[in-house]
Amino acid sequence: MAKDSDRRDLFPGALELMILQSLRLRPMHGYALVKHIQQVSGDLLQVEEGSLYPALQRLLRERLLESEAGTSAKGRPTRIYRVTDAGLRHLEQEVSSFEKMFAGITRVLAVAKT
Amino acid sequence: MIFLSKLFRRRRYDDLTVSIREHIAERADELVGEGMPRAEAEQTARRAFGNVGLVEQRSREVWQWPTAESVFADIRFALRQLIKSPGFTITAVVTLALGIAVNATMFSMVSAFLLPHLPGRDPQSMVVVSSVNPDSQFQPDANPASAPNYLAWSKDTRVFSAMAAADEYRTGSLAGKGLQAEALSYAAVSTNYFPVFGVSPALGRAFVAGEDQPGRDHVLVLSHGLWERRFGSDASVVGRVVRLNREDYVVAGVMPADFRLLGFTPQLWTPLTLTASDATADARKNRSLYLFARLAPGIKLEQARVQMRMLGQQAQQDYPAIEGRWGAAVRTLPDFLIYNFGIGTALAVIMTVVGFVLFIACANVAGLLLTRAVGRQKELAIRMSLGATRVRVVRQLLTEGVVIALLGGGVGLFLTYFGIRVISAGLSFNDAIADVKISLDTNVLIFAAVVSLVSAVLSSVAPALKASRTEINTDLKSEGRGASSGRAHNRMRVFLVGGEIALALFLLIGSCLLIRGVSLIEHQKLGFNHDHLLTAGLVLDKARYADSSKQIQFVRGLIERARQIPGVEKVAVASDLPASGLNSVTFHIKGQTEAHSNDQHTVADVVVTPEYFEVAGVPLLRGRLFTGRDDATAPHVVLVNQEFVHKYFQDRDPVGKQIQLDVAGASPAWSEIVGVVSDVKSYSEDARVDPEVFEAYLQRPVASFALMLRSTVEPKSLASSLRQAIAQLDRELPLLRVMSMDDVIESQKNGDPLFTKLLGTFAILALILSAIGIYGLIAYSVGQRTHEIGIRLALGAKASDISRMILRDGFKVAAIGSAIGLLMALPLPKLFESIFHGLVVGGPEVYPVVLSVMLIVAFCATFGPARRAMHVDPTTALRNE
Repeated sequence: MAKDSDRRDLFPGALELMILQSLRLRPMHGYALVKHIQQVSGDLLQVEEGSLYPALQRLLRERLLESEAGTSAKGRPTRIYRVTDAGLRHLEQEVSSFEKMFAGITRVLAVAKT
Repeated sequence: MIFLSKLFRRRRYDDLTVSIREHIAERADELVGEGMPRAEAEQTARRAFGNVGLVEQRSREVWQWPTAESVFADIRFALRQLIKSPGFTITAVVTLALGIAVNATMFSMVSAFLLPHLPGRDPQSMVVVSSVNPDSQFQPDANPASAPNYLAWSKDTRVFSAMAAADEYRTGSLAGKGLQAEALSYAAVSTNYFPVFGVSPALGRAFVAGEDQPGRDHVLVLSHGLWERRFGSDASVVGRVVRLNREDYVVAGVMPADFRLLGFTPQLWTPLTLTASDATADARKNRSLYLFARLAPGIKLEQARVQMRMLGQQAQQDYPAIEGRWGAAVRTLPDFLIYNFGIGTALAVIMTVVGFVLFIACANVAGLLLTRAVGRQKELAIRMSLGATRVRVVRQLLTEGVVIALLGGGVGLFLTYFGIRVISAGLSFNDAIADVKISLDTNVLIFAAVVSLVSAVLSSVAPALKASRTEINTDLKSEGRGASSGRAHNRMRVFLVGGEIALALFLLIGSCLLIRGVSLIEHQKLGFNHDHLLTAGLVLDKARYADSSKQIQFVRGLIERARQIPGVEKVAVASDLPASGLNSVTFHIKGQTEAHSNDQHTVADVVVTPEYFEVAGVPLLRGRLFTGRDDATAPHVVLVNQEFVHKYFQDRDPVGKQIQLDVAGASPAWSEIVGVVSDVKSYSEDARVDPEVFEAYLQRPVASFALMLRSTVEPKSLASSLRQAIAQLDRELPLLRVMSMDDVIESQKNGDPLFTKLLGTFAILALILSAIGIYGLIAYSVGQRTHEIGIRLALGAKASDISRMILRDGFKVAAIGSAIGLLMALPLPKLFESIFHGLVVGGPEVYPVVLSVMLIVAFCATFGPARRAMHVDPTTALRNE
């Protein structure tokens, strides 16, 4: 499989973080989730389906998400994913630890530039 | 619970599929919205999503207890696959089942004989102290010890916390109230015998200190078997008086059923009385005590060995004339029992043979799996192109192998159950063997499980690895268009079948060498006339036949009376039957002085009545035979055999020379050699001839002897008349082993017939399996080459050319395999001679015979497929794509 040089792999946990954050806004089904992340990031981030569905299952298993039967915009049956309370707590923890990490990385990069 | 969670998971997996389907559909809709044609949009959406199956699987794996579920899935899949091709499955399972069954059956013997049940407390700290016999080639270091040595060695309490002695092979007559006297074997044991083992009787008591003193020694302990058989398991037997050797003994106790030592089968135990005469130097010649000792706490076996070596040397220095080169050895109890029983080598050979049979079976199954893998190449290519990793495919194929092996193991165990029954029935040729119970015990079960798994690995690793090296592109594209599937593809199968043939030929040659050897022995000339000869054993007890004159008187009366039995021609008495083992003594030749005790001469010593040579049909070569005048008052005379003359007189005439035999309990006297008789084999089951000397019964009577009746009728028909005749002389004297001489010889074959039968069976099994292997290989390659054969035929090849080509292929594999097998088998005669004591190995004629059998079988196995190739119809074959 040819690797797209413009795009890079997400670091571990990033995908889960974005899924939780997106679903926090509103419950969505898989395709909507992909679209959402793509749009919000201004096409900078593209979620690979190959990672999305296993990630969703992982979050379901950890009980950070729950899913229910629903219909898509076109009226076809699908699964709608929703963040649980535990998911929200987990998201907040993760976000704060990510922010710390980003801050750290940014500072190091800033120093390196000067 | 499991079912519920499974249902639950199934639903979750369905949900996942729904989600993904919707995902792709929506993307397609979107693309259509952007103006793409529907069909193209759906394809693009699908391609953008990637491998649906893989994504689904990885999503599912999130939920799975990592691999177990996929293993179950593999097993389910493997079972489905196997059910789909029953021919393959049955062949593979039956092949492995046979291999596993013969291994497990033979292992049941290993479990029974080599992992023997040990009685008592902490058997690991029990050892057996033996004398080392300098003149024996057979188990020289398991010789029983003499009483003086026991007395000396048991004093050493630094190394041994206790040492017990047992005279294991005594024969006596047991009589009850109004019951027929019965001869039985018993052991006389020191009073600490049972405590040393740490066993207590099931009923009553064991011996107590002091019961080894004359006058107090008339107590006995019954074995559980005798108690059941003779006393009907009557608990009130304790304290009862029974008659043993015509004397009253009190039953002190009954031992538990599990108190038995491999190879020793005493029916009862009496105390061992050692008197002052047992401490004399002369008593050192009488070596009949097995010494069982417990190591003192903290003492290692090696320390005990060092100590005993020292004590052995001590005895040599103190009594150079008798102890000479004798020494002392120590073995652990299990080690000694197995060694003394002497079945280890035969079992090792048999286990090796069945191991080879298993290899051949595995090679066959591997061949089958390879064939199947080729047939399934497209399936595997599809699976891999759908995202299955190589590891995953190998695991799947290995799972199939394991499932086959476990099925084979299950069927094999079923067969083992019957195999063990057959073996047990065959293993009853003597008391000691019959005493060992062979069963499908835990050891055998574990062994069968391990063997199954090993054969799973052996038979499926190579095919699995090979199959997984599938090239997706080439295999998907090539639709079997290749004219012939190529040599490279078959190389592994050729290798397997060649190996099978090599192993099978090796086994066949090995087995035939042994079988031929045994049959040579069976048909050897023993040197005497053994048909129409009835034999029986007698032991004159001390109570009634205390001195030699009484013994002589009895023997005279016995011969007189036996001669009057109708059908009896001549009667003789001998201390040992011909060709039934011997009793060695040392001797000196008058006029020759031994420079050193190392030069001591030994000779087999037999005491006979004058008629012996006529009765046995042993011709006199020189001098004269014994007469009735050679009695106690006359000068001592002896006869010798040819081997004696050859070895000690360099074939010069020995008549008139004087020799002196060192016989325990007899006063030393010079005897004149008066004649030379021809040689008789020392053992009917061995080709050996030992120097032998014959003494006259009237000059040296013995209490234990065999009676020989030369008859004009079927010897066994005289048994009851003989019993009556003996009863008229002495009603309480039992006859032992009333058998024809032919039966004696038959019984002395011991396990040989069973051993050769087993070897033969396994070798033939190996031959059949390898024939199936070569048949499978050739049939398969003919199937693969149908297309090629069609072209050849279409281009004008004759049918006979085709069949010759196929036969040549089969023959090539057989020839290469056979050559390797022959090379492997070349050192076998040497090997067998070194591991089997006294074995005669079949001659070189075995090699060509076995080789031709192998090649004929290979030819027959190839012939069927070759004929089929001949009848290939070119048009069908070419159209057949």
